[in-house]
Amino acid sequence: MSIICKYTIFYLSKPLNITTSSEAMLNQVRSVHNVRPPRMKYPLWYLQRERAKDDQQLTEDNRAFVKEAVHDKFGMPAVIHGISTYDVRSALREKSVEYENVEWSPKFQRTGLIARKLGNYPMWLNNGKSVLTTLLHVIDNHVIKYIPPGEFDPPRKPYSCPNHKKNLGCLLVGAESADPQYFTKQYCGLFYKEGMMPKKHLGRFLISPEAALQPGTPLMASHFNPGDFIDVRGKTIDRGFQGVMKRHGFHGMPATHGVTKSHRRGGNVGHGGEKGRIFPGTKMPGHMGNRYRIHKGAEILRINHKFNIIWIKGVASPGETNSIVYLYDTLLPLRKYKSSPPFPTSKVVEDDQLIDSYSEKMYKFTNQTITYEEEK
Amino acid sequence: MLLRNLKLYKVKSGLAPVVQICRLSSSIPLEDFPVGTVSEKQVKPERKSIVPSNCRYVYPEFLPDPKMQWRNPLREKLERMDMIQRRKHIDIPEFYVGTIMAVTSSNQHAPNKATRFVGICIQRLGCGLRANFTLRNVIKHIGTEMKYQLYDPTIQKIEVLRLEKRLDDELLYLRDAPNEYSTFDENMEAEYLPEGSPIPVNTTMVKLKPRPWRARWERKNMKGLADLELPERFYKRAEELATPWEKYDLMKQYRRTIPEEEQKEIFAEVYSELHEVNVMRKKQKRKKVFIKPFKN
Repeated sequence: MSIICKYTIFYLSKPLNITTSSEAMLNQVRSVHNVRPPRMKYPLWYLQRERAKDDQQLTEDNRAFVKEAVHDKFGMPAVIHGISTYDVRSALREKSVEYENVEWSPKFQRTGLIARKLGNYPMWLNNGKSVLTTLLHVIDNHVIKYIPPGEFDPPRKPYSCPNHKKNLGCLLVGAESADPQYFTKQYCGLFYKEGMMPKKHLGRFLISPEAALQPGTPLMASHFNPGDFIDVRGKTIDRGFQGVMKRHGFHGMPATHGVTKSHRRGGNVGHGGEKGRIFPGTKMPGHMGNRYRIHKGAEILRINHKFNIIWIKGVASPGETNSIVYLYDTLLPLRKYKSSPPFPTSKVVEDDQLIDSYSEKMYKFTNQTITYEEEK
Repeated sequence: MLLRNLKLYKVKSGLAPVVQICRLSSSIPLEDFPVGTVSEKQVKPERKSIVPSNCRYVYPEFLPDPKMQWRNPLREKLERMDMIQRRKHIDIPEFYVGTIMAVTSSNQHAPNKATRFVGICIQRLGCGLRANFTLRNVIKHIGTEMKYQLYDPTIQKIEVLRLEKRLDDELLYLRDAPNEYSTFDENMEAEYLPEGSPIPVNTTMVKLKPRPWRARWERKNMKGLADLELPERFYKRAEELATPWEKYDLMKQYRRTIPEEEQKEIFAEVYSELHEVNVMRKKQKRKKVFIKPFKN
């Protein structure tokens, strides 16, 4: 019977104009509606990056020749702003981006930066209070590609809002130049098109078209100013499968007083009667960490222009030491820019005198000891 | 009891407590390292390193935290640069656990906006800008401890009143000892130790009060503790829990410390500047004319 029904529905319904049975059967299909099927569509930069390691069996001379070819094409290896990288010749092309000299407005969205988390150390405020800071190293960032709003189709859009972020363009930013021998041809092609050297890390930033930048533009720590607020996005430390005490901060159960074998258990998870089930979202043991989280509204206290390092207040930035984080202008409404930041980004200034710039309230280590004045 | 011990110790070591300004942070005799030749020597790599071997004891906080997951060479370098900048404004002398020190720090709530605390250093912890030390003294019959950040900009002055070491690396057991072991005169005058002489070790054996204690000291293998006078079962248990094999664990040792090559690299980077700061400070001190205090 079922076979016949199936046949009628899928193969015979149209030619035979059988409507009643098919409708009856279709109503029987139980599924959660309003759920979009997964789309297998990836952005253009979603490419295989690492090449399979193979021993090319090259002689020493040949190896040297390949190295020389790389240096000829892109530049010699050099230490720039504290990172060993390549002295890439400027690949700036003239007028590849239409917008220039646009005045900043609070509606505009600027690009972000890719940084490495270096760790924490304490600094002091001018009033003598100590604050813990996190150091973020902006590692050799260059603009790779700009995709204007019409062409950019984000792979994931909210189901309810098809026009979501349609007025924003996409800026690809790469960090840390590397030898192209270690990457696949297709990944390298992404950079060659723009005359750039392959980068170890790629980031995507949604920007307003007015804030667009030419491919090859270097992005520095001076993109932000001390006193600004930023959002730091990174992958949290992978802690594996964890119990409820570590994962959700439950208190566990007493150590004594007759408690056996349940000192670290969560206790009750449900109710009785109609609610006799576990509600979705109940806090339970499971995998902890290794997901992207954003530390919002972190204040910039100090910037080192020589090494491109940003000190932010607090130790809440996600990720381990030496992990990659992405920095954005903050979205918190009260901490957004009120006056113009470096727009679309800061200009490269070769000033050896300006090494450190501090927020006003920070104590500089070059200053005298803090003393308090007597009240009169 | 304690006083007698101290007196004995003084006689033994033959040190007369001479009133003098406190000792400088460098314990190196100046003849070995003439000021003018520092830069010349640095240029030539073939020459023997000018960095003295005791740097890791004098400046332990310049060595980074050996925990591998937290290390980053660039951050450590920046931290060292900040430390040196701070050291240019304050004389941080050489001191050890067991040294009697006085710290003057800015305090918003004190009458003169500054407080001076004298005490014995019972603990020294931390690397880089986090380095800190704890002073202990008994003030008005109450045991008082103050923890200071070494690079805190509110610290105005750090004086070493009596430079010496004790038998242990931590003197936390003084909390369980009678008050006289950690009582020091607030108006104590600095004792002078001739340049280049070895750091004296105070061999005072501390007699603890009867239990209860803050820790099970019989298990900690402390050298500076007199007989604890405990029942036999305490020592038996301590023996059961002891881990005497750990001193042969080379990997553990390696992970807990910074390798010597790396230490040399760090101090080679830092030492010339530190030495310069010390020499500057010495010159300034010599310029100051000594005025003999007079009685009213």
